[in-house]
Amino acid sequence: MIFTVLIPLLIACLIPFVSLYKHRIHTGIFVFFVPFTIFIYFIQFIGTGFEPVRHTYNWIPSLGINFDFHLDGLSLLFALLISGIGSLVVLYSIYYLERNERLGHFYVYLLMFMSAMLGIVLSDNVFVLYTFWELTSISSFLLIGYWHFKEKSRYGALKSMMITIFGGLSMFGGFILLTVITGTASIRAMVANADIIMDNPYMPLALGFILIGAFTKSAQFPFHIWLPDAMEAPTPVSAYLHSATMVKAGIYLIARFSPVFSGFEWFFIIVSIAGILTLCWGSYMAVHQTDLKAILAFSTISQLGMIMAMLGFGTEAAIFAAVFHILNHATFKGSLFMVAGAVDHESGTRDIRKLGGLATLMPISATLALFGTFSMAGIPLPFLNGFYSKELFFGSAIDLGEGTSALASFLIEVIPYLAVLGSIFTFVYSMYFVFGTFWGPKKLDELPKKPHEAPAGMLVAPGILVLGVILIGLFPGAINGTFIAHAAEAVNGEAVAKEIYFWHGWDSTAFQMSLAVLGIGAVLTVTRKKWHGVYQILPGRLSANKVYDWLMAKIDIYSGKITNAYMTGSLRHYMIIILSAILIATTGFMIATGGFTMNFQNLASVTIIEMAVVLVIVAAAVATIFINNNVAAILITGITGYGVALLFIIYRAPDLGLTQLVVETISVALFLLCFYHLPNLKKRQESLTSKTTNGLVSIGFGAMVTLIGISAHSSDWFGTISDYFLETSYSLGGGDNVVNVILVDMRGLDTLFEIAVLGIAALAIYTLIKYRSDKGGR
Amino acid sequence: MSNLAVLPIIIPLMAGIILAFFPKKLTLVRLLTKVFIIGNLGVAAFTAWLVFTQGPIILETGDWQAPYGIIIVADELSILLVLTTNIVAAACAFYAPYTLPDKKERFYFYSFFFFLISGVSGAFLTGDLFNMFVFFEVLLMASYALIVLGGDKVQLRESVKYVFINLFSSMLFVTAIAFIYGTLGTVNMAQIAQRVQEVEQQGILTTIGILLFFVFATKAALFPLYYWMPKSYAVPNPVVSALFGALLTKVGIYAIIRVFSLIFVHKVSLTHEMFIWIAGLSMIFGVIGALSTNNIKLIIAYNIIPSIGFMLMGLGVFNQDALSGSIYYLIHDMVIKTILFLLVGTIVYAAGTSDLRKFKGLIHYYPVLGWMLFVSGFVLAGIPPFSGFIGKLLLLTGALSSEEIVIVIIALMSSLLILYSIMKIFIQGFWGEKNESFEYKPVKGRMAPVAVLLAISIFMGVGAEFIYPSIELISAYLLEPENYINAVMKE
Amino acid sequence: MEYIISILAGILFATAIYNLLQKQLLRLVIGSLLLSHGAHLFILTMGELKRGSPPILTDGVEEYADPLPQALILTSIVISFGITSLLLVLAYRTANENNTDNMEQLRGNENE
Repeated sequence: MIFTVLIPLLIACLIPFVSLYKHRIHTGIFVFFVPFTIFIYFIQFIGTGFEPVRHTYNWIPSLGINFDFHLDGLSLLFALLISGIGSLVVLYSIYYLERNERLGHFYVYLLMFMSAMLGIVLSDNVFVLYTFWELTSISSFLLIGYWHFKEKSRYGALKSMMITIFGGLSMFGGFILLTVITGTASIRAMVANADIIMDNPYMPLALGFILIGAFTKSAQFPFHIWLPDAMEAPTPVSAYLHSATMVKAGIYLIARFSPVFSGFEWFFIIVSIAGILTLCWGSYMAVHQTDLKAILAFSTISQLGMIMAMLGFGTEAAIFAAVFHILNHATFKGSLFMVAGAVDHESGTRDIRKLGGLATLMPISATLALFGTFSMAGIPLPFLNGFYSKELFFGSAIDLGEGTSALASFLIEVIPYLAVLGSIFTFVYSMYFVFGTFWGPKKLDELPKKPHEAPAGMLVAPGILVLGVILIGLFPGAINGTFIAHAAEAVNGEAVAKEIYFWHGWDSTAFQMSLAVLGIGAVLTVTRKKWHGVYQILPGRLSANKVYDWLMAKIDIYSGKITNAYMTGSLRHYMIIILSAILIATTGFMIATGGFTMNFQNLASVTIIEMAVVLVIVAAAVATIFINNNVAAILITGITGYGVALLFIIYRAPDLGLTQLVVETISVALFLLCFYHLPNLKKRQESLTSKTTNGLVSIGFGAMVTLIGISAHSSDWFGTISDYFLETSYSLGGGDNVVNVILVDMRGLDTLFEIAVLGIAALAIYTLIKYRSDKGGR
Repeated sequence: MSNLAVLPIIIPLMAGIILAFFPKKLTLVRLLTKVFIIGNLGVAAFTAWLVFTQGPIILETGDWQAPYGIIIVADELSILLVLTTNIVAAACAFYAPYTLPDKKERFYFYSFFFFLISGVSGAFLTGDLFNMFVFFEVLLMASYALIVLGGDKVQLRESVKYVFINLFSSMLFVTAIAFIYGTLGTVNMAQIAQRVQEVEQQGILTTIGILLFFVFATKAALFPLYYWMPKSYAVPNPVVSALFGALLTKVGIYAIIRVFSLIFVHKVSLTHEMFIWIAGLSMIFGVIGALSTNNIKLIIAYNIIPSIGFMLMGLGVFNQDALSGSIYYLIHDMVIKTILFLLVGTIVYAAGTSDLRKFKGLIHYYPVLGWMLFVSGFVLAGIPPFSGFIGKLLLLTGALSSEEIVIVIIALMSSLLILYSIMKIFIQGFWGEKNESFEYKPVKGRMAPVAVLLAISIFMGVGAEFIYPSIELISAYLLEPENYINAVMKE
Repeated sequence: MEYIISILAGILFATAIYNLLQKQLLRLVIGSLLLSHGAHLFILTMGELKRGSPPILTDGVEEYADPLPQALILTSIVISFGITSLLLVLAYRTANENNTDNMEQLRGNENE
């Protein structure tokens, strides 16, 4: 089974070579065989006696990440859609895309995307699923941005990527959480351990993470906003991504995980609300779009909401209806996208205000559109599959059982009405789409091109899909037993024995709901223009789009503002922040751990000479702050150095004292040399606040190190390793001067690299003095 | 055999010295540089192989037994970092001739380069705290030299700040070592660990540990101590930025990981809890910084901060998975940061500006460059199946096992914004209309080393099965300080 | 006496930091010098002060001052010297090149 996932990827690598010949043969012709072969492969699994198939290929077994491909009914349904619609889309694209386009790129992205989708629906391992999930985000980013010279394409691509990867990451978090809870990365094993997940206090968090992933991908309200902008992609892409595949990935995810979560009431509440809201919102928004593809985009959003809602309902009937509608939606929406593309291709515009009366010029397209839209609207005709699933949707919406909480009960009351409301708008935009484009007055002079029927090749693919609409409508039973039932069983957990009827009788509530939709919808369609104002009220300022734009703009502005507020480039600011951070944290820890200790035993005596030296050093150190003369300041700094040297000598460190004296002398000399030519120190013109801050920080820091120093000295738990040096200095090191022996022998490595430091410093100084980039260089 | 452990420090030192003798003979210098770095890479790889098959190599320099002399400890973590350092450095050595003006190369660039490698390797390998300070100074001194090389206005200005802040933290390092010596009477890390364990990290010890943490955190550029970093990393030549971004901050985080997995591990609920907060804030402010600018070099420089945050997060959570994640992330980040700095350096060269608002449509001229950047963005953000993903997966698994929810959410969201910050470069700089008047400059030669690194980086993700067991070994080893102590003290 | 030296070192730290927070480059360099003195004094204090004679082995002397801190300080002094020299030249060049020794005028701006 792994070949179905890998082949598109491998072929994608060959595409750049094939497309060298694109001027003789359209690259799409080669590509077509890839999804078609896969489709044939999967078709052989269809049948009443279908049993899940599983193949495992190791990838990173030590992390539990393996290609565990598991083909059950649900996976099979999706795999067929992906490869089947994929074949048709490629076929369609051969006629849609000119050979002077960058076909190589296009098909590489498309094949990557196909691989990724197949990977998602076949993987049983959550991390592999996540890998493919992100791959769909990436490849759809590239597909949407295919015409990247257009500003809107770039905008749409970025938007879809930001939102879907946001969701992907969130889902990733959820997957990890589930893996941590159950100890397995296999979805089947998680389903089997659903009770462990249910008992875990972090279950709601995991659910939330996963729902965000699914909702963003499936364009559920309020994450739906990326989808309309994704219409900037070439139409074959829209047909593929937004009818059958990418957006259904979220649906797939929810369906996959619903056996785990369906017992949890919030799952019902959140998913149903999101679904129903999206259904209503999407269809409402679709009504007043003017771009054909935008209508279809919002229509997709709304249809996905409907499927999502049914998955939320979680009853056997609802799941069955959802699975059935996944198939139906793919057929009619795919054909409609392709028709819209044909209209665009032949007339040069997708603006429905400029279109009209094309039925006589493009009769086949018009017929196809008629079937597609009527199916979508749920017109009760026995050869339209859309009606069946809509009827089942209504049926499941009125049979939700009892809610255990007030909110759930309320929802159960309201859902049927909202379902009807959303469907009414669906009816309206469906009619608007088909009649606005193909019937009514002709406005040929407003069109950029003189329209005529699309080439036959372009009509084959939508034709096949419409044929599917009709066949499913005519023989729902054939589809049902062979694979819809298997798919539903995979979601439901146990076998689903549902029959699909056309006629439920006049007294069926679901049918009455359909009639209501039909009636009110028809009235609204006829009087559509009068309602124009109503359709403009929303979204107004409530649009989630505006939130996105606002957010992105604010990220731009505020990241700059925040960063510039502290990244001032001023060393003083940096130092103050660094010092305060260290000061606060260290003092905090000293207090929290009770670190400060002080004992007066084992101290050296205080003599007057030492005190005098100490006082001189203090005086000199403090004086450096107040003196405003270059030379004086440098000399006084020298005094502290000499003072320290004196202390070294007093404290039995003659070598140190000497070294310090020499070093200090050279430093002061160097100092004077370098600063002799610089302007004199000026009196500091500082405000009182900055003086106070400086003072507080420096005194605080000084006090802190002193306190730690005193405590460190007072914590005398261990002897020092130095005794060893004293013992072995002569016997092993061969020297009387222990410090020297340590330097050259015991810690010789220190000394070697100390010399290296000096050497590097010397080289660096040399380059600093010699190298002037302005006098030469490149 | 144990002398092998010191070779990755000594070879570059010698190379640096040798190259300093005839800086003007550029052809020879370039050739020798490549020979030396490949040789050193070979030695490091061989040593690493030995360590992973036969256990840590301990070298008592001058035959002074631990804890009295300086000990070089090539354990799995250290040698892996040294190996990665050499890989990254080799790529930089091959890239350097394309981007450096000949004059810079003549002014001892390669010597400083080798001194830097020597210092970095030393800091990774030493088992002695004071010796670590010395190696820090070696690498800092080399970095001072590299950052000022060329000496134009902006460079000097940022270097001064860089030098002052590092000087301050160095002096604080010495002071902290003094305190440790005062309390524990030793500077050998294994013995420090042993003694801290004996007194159960009581009294002032935790405070000293925190002081040490901040010393390293300044070098590692963690919140709120990173202010010096972005600009000083963005101004020098791309090779120098790459070396700094890949190596210098990593030395800091290595030191933190070492010290807080070996020595100060007895008050974890206090110290490591704070690390998680600092990690989270680093991620937030780091990505905010990366989004704040249109200077593509700065975008990459800012991206160092959240990465370091990720590594610290694993240490803060402090369980096996999280620690494995930190180490995986550390290795991954050394490679990907080099790639990004070099790529961006190439973009700046090709576009003639580092201001994102001033160029577009580069993909028409530089498709390979564009796609490499594209892939690198996903590698950096931890999108599967690339190397960042494995690290992130481990980190988040560890964090969620320890019920650290907030940091996980921050980590996930910052990943998104990290991706955005890189995609911004791709979308604005590479997409768009073809600029017909564009002056094409070939970049093939400089792409080769980057491509090799990118291949390594992708392999670290796709081929994680070959790498992860070693990482797991390291984190298991780190979680038991006894391992290190016994190896060094031989008791 | 150890405590007095600790306090002295603390004062050196405080004055050093105060200088480091100033605007003029010269003061910053002075600050870094003072800082290294403070750090060295801390190392010295951590051995026991004035115990025994200088660590040069002599017949008949039993007690010596702790030699290790002295060795460490020596290394550190030399390193600090190296850095200070570099810093001085760097400061000089920076001030010359940018025509100011005022750190506040060395802030720079974005997009360069």
